[in-house]
Amino acid sequence: MKLTSRKMLHTIGALADLGVEISSAHDFDEVMKASLHMLLGSLAIRKGAIWVYSSRPRQLKAVAAKGVKDVIGNCMPLSKDEAACFVSTGRAFQPGAEGDPLVNFAQLSIEQLGQLATRLTIPMIARQELMGVIFISAKFSGEPFDDEEIDLIDTIARHVGVAIYNHRLLASVKRKAEENRRLYRELRATYQSTIKAFAAAIDLKDAYTKGHSDRVARYSEAIATEMGVTGTELEHISVAGYLHNIGKITVDRAIINNPRPLTEHEFKELNTHVLTGYEILSSINHPWNKIAYMTKCHHERVDGGGYPQGLRGDQIPLGARIVTVADSFDAMMTDRPYRSRLPLDLALAELEKNVGRQFDPDVVRAFCRLLLKEVNGQAPRILTSTSGRGYDRDRVSAALVSMANGSGRSEIVPLALSN
Amino acid sequence: MSNADIRAKLIDGAAIIYPGPYLNQLRGERVERRCREILTEGIRNLVINFEETELVNSIGISLLLGVIDAVDESAGKIILTNLNATTRELFDVLGILSKVDIAGSEEAALLVMHAGNTPARPSETEADRQ
Repeated sequence: MKLTSRKMLHTIGALADLGVEISSAHDFDEVMKASLHMLLGSLAIRKGAIWVYSSRPRQLKAVAAKGVKDVIGNCMPLSKDEAACFVSTGRAFQPGAEGDPLVNFAQLSIEQLGQLATRLTIPMIARQELMGVIFISAKFSGEPFDDEEIDLIDTIARHVGVAIYNHRLLASVKRKAEENRRLYRELRATYQSTIKAFAAAIDLKDAYTKGHSDRVARYSEAIATEMGVTGTELEHISVAGYLHNIGKITVDRAIINNPRPLTEHEFKELNTHVLTGYEILSSINHPWNKIAYMTKCHHERVDGGGYPQGLRGDQIPLGARIVTVADSFDAMMTDRPYRSRLPLDLALAELEKNVGRQFDPDVVRAFCRLLLKEVNGQAPRILTSTSGRGYDRDRVSAALVSMANGSGRSEIVPLALSN
Repeated sequence: MSNADIRAKLIDGAAIIYPGPYLNQLRGERVERRCREILTEGIRNLVINFEETELVNSIGISLLLGVIDAVDESAGKIILTNLNATTRELFDVLGILSKVDIAGSEEAALLVMHAGNTPARPSETEADRQ
C-alpha cells in the first residue's frame, strides 16, 4: 500500500505526537507505552513490544507491550556480539530470515513473545549505541510492510531510541547530582567535626575553659539568628565562635591557667592570641578570611578601647561584636582560675554596665530578647545551658525586658549587688 | 481515571459506545476500558458510534485495534458507525475497513447484528454514497 495523502498526514501527526511525548516530563514507562501505541497506530499494526537494552547485565527488558500478556518486566539476555549486530544492522529486519546472525536471539524472542508473532524486529540506536529493540506483529490488514512503511518504522524507532538515550542521560545526571550532594554532605560533616575538634583542642589548654568554644559558637549562632542573620553569614559567625581562641595554642599554658593577676608581660603575650589566630585562619582561602577577621576582632570594644586595632562601633565586624558578647557571657557564667562563676543576674548587670563601651547595644538587646524567651520557657535553653535554674526568674525577666527594649537602666545592678 | 465520561447505552443486547470528539490516548484508554468492562459483563455485540468524533490520532487507532481484537477474542461482533469522511478514509487506508464492518447509522448496525447478516460493504454504505 503506497502512502496516500491521508496516510501521510496521519503518519506526520504520529511523528509530531511522538515528539511531544518523548520530550514530555511523563514517567518513562508511560512515554514508552505511548510511543509504542503511536508506532502501532501509525500503520495499524496489531501488536508490539518495546524492550530496553542495558549493558550491565547485558539484557533486554520489556517496558511496554500491546497484545502480549504478562511480558512487561521480563528480560532476555543479549550478548555483546548480538548487541553489536543490532547496531550494525541499524534498521528493521525480519527475524530468523536466512543468514540472520541473530538466529539464537530470534529463537529466544519467539519463546518470550510467542503471542506476538513477530514480523519485524527494529533496533533502536542513538549515538551508535543500542538503546533497545522493538518487536512488531503484522499489520491489522494482514498486508506485508512495504519499504516506505519500514522507513517510517525505522524513523519512529530512532525517535524512541533518542528518548531512551535522553532518559538514561537524565538518570545519569540525577545520579551524579545525588552523589555530589552526598559527597557535599559528607564534606560538610567532616568540616564541622574538624572545626569542633579544633575547638576542643583549643579548650584543652585550660581545664577551666572546657567546652567554652563550643558554647561561644552556639551562643553566637543563637544571637545572630535572633538578629536576623541567616545562611552563609550565620555559618561564618558560628565558625568564628568555635575558633575565636585558636591563637591561644601558641600561648604558654602557665599564663592561661595563672590564678593570679597577670603581669604586663603576661597580658601582652596573652593578647597576641588574636593576631596569631588571624594568621592561622587567614591562610585558608575565602571565605575564611572573613572568619579570620572576626576572630581577630573579638577583643575589640565598640568604644575603641579594645585590641589589637582599637576599632570602634561598626568598624568591628558584626560577627566579632556578637562573638564578643557570647565570649564574655560564657566567661562570666563559668568558673575561672582567678574567680568563681557569676550568678545570672550579676552577669546581666555586668553586660548592661558595658553596653556601648565593650558591647554593641544592638547585640546586647538581641541577646536579652533571646535570653528572655529562654527564661520564659519560649525557646530551647542555649544561653541558660550553664546557669541552671538558680536565679530569680521574675527579677531577671523584668531586667531583660528593660534591657531588650533599651529603655534605660534595668536596675538589676543594685538589686543583684545587694544580694 | 474514570470511564464515566464515555457515553454508552445498551439496545437490544448490543452496547453502543460513543468515543467523543477526539479519539486520542486519554479517551482511547477510557473507551478501551469501557469496552472491556462491557465484554466482561457478557455483552458481545459492540457498536462504536463515531458521530461526535472529528479526529482520531495514532494512539486512538492502536487502542481501537485493541478493542477490535478483544471483541474478536470474545467471539463477539463489532460495527463502526457514523464515520465522517476523514476518519473513514483514514480507516480505509490503514486497512481497518478490510476487516471490520461499518454502517451508516446505529439503527443499520443493530439491524445487521440482529439479523446476523453480513453488513453492507463499506462501498455500499450511506456514508460512501455521500
